Amino acid sequence: MAMLDYIVGLGAQIMMPIIITIFGLLLGTKLGKSVRAGLAVGVGFVGLNLVIGLLAGNLGPAAQEMVKRIGLELTIIDVGWPAAAAIAFASTVGALIIPLGLVINVLMLATNTTQTVNIDIWNYWHFAFTGALVAGATGSTALGLLAAGLNMIIIMVIADLTAPGIEKYNGLQGVSLPHGFSAAFVPIAIVVNKMLDYIPGINKIQIDAEDLQNKFGVFGEPILMGTVIGLLIGIGAGYDLKGILGMGITLGSVLVLIPKMAAMLMEGLIPISDAAQEFIEKRFNNRGKVYIGLDSAVGIGHPVTLAVSLVLVPMTIIIAAILPGNKVLPFADLAVIPFALVMLVPITKGNVFRTFIIGVLIISFGLLIATNLAPLHTEMAINANFPIPEGATMISSICDGANPLSWAFTRLMELEVVGAVLLIVVALGMAVYNRRRIIKENKYAQAQV
Amino acid sequence: MVKILIACGTGICTSTMAADKLKRELEKRGKVNKVVITQCKVAELVSKADGYDLIIATTEVSGKVTTPVISGLPFLTGVGMGKVVDEIIEKLGL
Repeated sequence: MAMLDYIVGLGAQIMMPIIITIFGLLLGTKLGKSVRAGLAVGVGFVGLNLVIGLLAGNLGPAAQEMVKRIGLELTIIDVGWPAAAAIAFASTVGALIIPLGLVINVLMLATNTTQTVNIDIWNYWHFAFTGALVAGATGSTALGLLAAGLNMIIIMVIADLTAPGIEKYNGLQGVSLPHGFSAAFVPIAIVVNKMLDYIPGINKIQIDAEDLQNKFGVFGEPILMGTVIGLLIGIGAGYDLKGILGMGITLGSVLVLIPKMAAMLMEGLIPISDAAQEFIEKRFNNRGKVYIGLDSAVGIGHPVTLAVSLVLVPMTIIIAAILPGNKVLPFADLAVIPFALVMLVPITKGNVFRTFIIGVLIISFGLLIATNLAPLHTEMAINANFPIPEGATMISSICDGANPLSWAFTRLMELEVVGAVLLIVVALGMAVYNRRRIIKENKYAQAQV
Repeated sequence: MVKILIACGTGICTSTMAADKLKRELEKRGKVNKVVITQCKVAELVSKADGYDLIIATTEVSGKVTTPVISGLPFLTGVGMGKVVDEIIEKLGL
């Protein structure tokens, strides 16, 4: 443990290359390939640091100016999911999340509590993020690891249960989506969708998705969106013409560059993810029905998801400005709004209006959650050596800063024993329910043969 | 030079994986230097698709895109990857 603490203390851009190289070797990848993968991750971190520094350095002061000039109290900057992922992987929980996740997946498969072989190693970061928040809030790495593990169990069960709907509405056969962000909204969506059934008039509304996509298409292009938002913020901050134009081009650049840096991180993880995939598949290739767990990005092309998320981009900015209690200035994660909606489509049966209503609720409560978690989020970023400017500026992100499940874990685990027991009961209860369902399904399938 | 556009939900995550695997498979067959691979978001497809010979998408694609589309899911799951690579080579006449 002392050794691990020392390595984590070196900071993400030194630690991650070392850890990734070690994992690569453990999973049987060649030395040269492992080292190259590790270094690619290091490059991703350094790049992210630079771009986030550029964003915080420009947007931070402008946000402060907007408070003074127009009273728009949005001082928490949304720096986006790549930074959240980096923060998560840079924590002690993050350093252990890949082996922990693999063990949990193997145990769940062995006990029939899941049908999903989760090969989407990259998205283990969502579980690590929850764990890192909990570790930060409670000061206990053990509670952090427990939270990450329980979070994964809950998401794996949701992935199994939603897989038939995903197959029907997204045409993804044999695939489930154990995505820590997308799947977290499923329980909320089920409840709200049921409520909408009982409201006369509203339960009949239908809107055409393709038509919306044409009208709001421009919000799908980061380079234009970033620049326009930058120009508006420059005006709001009362800058001169040069300052306004500078803000436009800088924010446009940031929105294009952040994902490119995240792509470097991803690229480094590919050899590890390949090896891990082989590791689980070798052990579980002779079973009943098995889903392959993928990134929920594979569902984003659904016309309803795309159309509603395009409308939600400008809506999110408006909600952020008028919602009492919100301090988050949405920016980098406007691009990941579709991830909050992917798994709603099977629940609303592809209804645009209902997906939109649930989307507005998710964003509104999400912004309040992100505001609530921002001090912790910022502290973790500083611990991970991110260049957060001194003073009033705090950072957050919609993914996973606005994730209700991560938030619930953090606040419940703060109660220590009571919260931990409650969460263990919920996660294990879901796992046992899923086991009963799976065994029944397997019996039925055998009877059919 | 044949131009391939790989699209996914973000233009980053699954398209990076698919591009990486496709490059490796084409390399094995000695055809990697005949193609140029670009990545984009599925939301950008309608405006970007025209300049490309083939689109590989890891998610659904709007019916308005006229460039031929092949599903990139086999690159993620590993199931049927060889077949899809053969299909790509045949379609592009590599």
